[in-house]
Amino acid sequence: MHMQTTTGNISGLAKFKPAFNVALYKTEVDVVGNHLSGLLLIKKMPDSSTRMVFSNEMGLKFFDFEFTTDGNFKVYFIMKKMNKKPVIKTLRKDFELILMEHLDTTAASVRINNGLIYYVFPEAKGYNYYITDSTGDNLVSMERASKRKTVVQAIMKNYINGTPDTIGISHKTFNFTIGLKRIER
Amino acid sequence: MRKVVIVLLGMVLGISLKAQYAGYSPVSDLAKFKTDFSAATKKIVAIKSDFVQEKNLSMLSEKIISKGKFWFKRESMVRMEYNQPYQYLMILNKDKIFIKDGQKENKISAKSNKLFQQINRIMIDCMQGTALDNPDFKTRIFENKTNSLIELTPQTKGLKEMFKSINIIVDSKDFSVISIEMLELSNDNTLIRFTNKELNAEIPDSLFTIL
Repeated sequence: MHMQTTTGNISGLAKFKPAFNVALYKTEVDVVGNHLSGLLLIKKMPDSSTRMVFSNEMGLKFFDFEFTTDGNFKVYFIMKKMNKKPVIKTLRKDFELILMEHLDTTAASVRINNGLIYYVFPEAKGYNYYITDSTGDNLVSMERASKRKTVVQAIMKNYINGTPDTIGISHKTFNFTIGLKRIER
Repeated sequence: MRKVVIVLLGMVLGISLKAQYAGYSPVSDLAKFKTDFSAATKKIVAIKSDFVQEKNLSMLSEKIISKGKFWFKRESMVRMEYNQPYQYLMILNKDKIFIKDGQKENKISAKSNKLFQQINRIMIDCMQGTALDNPDFKTRIFENKTNSLIELTPQTKGLKEMFKSINIIVDSKDFSVISIEMLELSNDNTLIRFTNKELNAEIPDSLFTIL
């Protein structure tokens, strides 16, 4: 991908950082041919960390995660069947992509490609991209990529008081999508 | 001195048992309870009710509340229809489970999944009155002036990893289910309360059909 470097302000991204005070999402997950559904409760805790608890409609808990503002992560609970390192790692990275906490601006750059503005954040083994339209007013998508290709694509749409009511995460290298639709409690 | 210690110990133990379920004390005649329970629940061939489900996430100080309608019919048929704040339908019909989540439908054979089978079993046992006969659980029974509390403690591996206990509260008069509470190993729990109960109303089989 040819990208022109441009002088752009990373701070243009701040308005897209989701504000989750307490939000409940109806959740659909499709993973390698299996369908899972439930409710994801996202809450900003008094210590500023973000908790995510995913349970099915009948109350059966799948996982309970904590994301701290300094980029740390804790598993409070995960259902036995999901308790595998690669699963936890994937979920952690997917949610960190959309939480936009702890974005390291020191090595970040802003580029333009095909009329879209790319905010590029180098990661340990690749890049996270936050992509807006040319006006910078709309977050078109977010991506996690390896050095060679896109691994995950995500969207956050329809922000109401800073909280997106629609979130989608879609993996490109294997069949795994998460769809979140906010519901009133 | 020894007598004093024994009495004191007895009081402490008595208090700790009582404190476990506030207001409840252990049923004095277990055999009689089981006989009465069995006789009363055999008379229940169908239940129609509303329900309110409260999922309590204690560390987050949050509750997720959902509401819907519930139907039960002998033998082994349950229909649970959530309509607030989301649409979700679950039908249990013998060994089959049908789930409709919004638009998406899913048919599962409980036979293929041991855990599903056990959870399926619990729901049906609660309604059918066979909860006391389930070998997957250790049972303790408590009572207060109006209700009885059946505490089911899972004994099998899969269920033990998910629940600390499942507590069913039944009306002492007709033994119909008032609530089912599933306590997790953490301090979280899910409580389903059944209201506006109609016992033995006419319920068509079609409500439980899984195609």
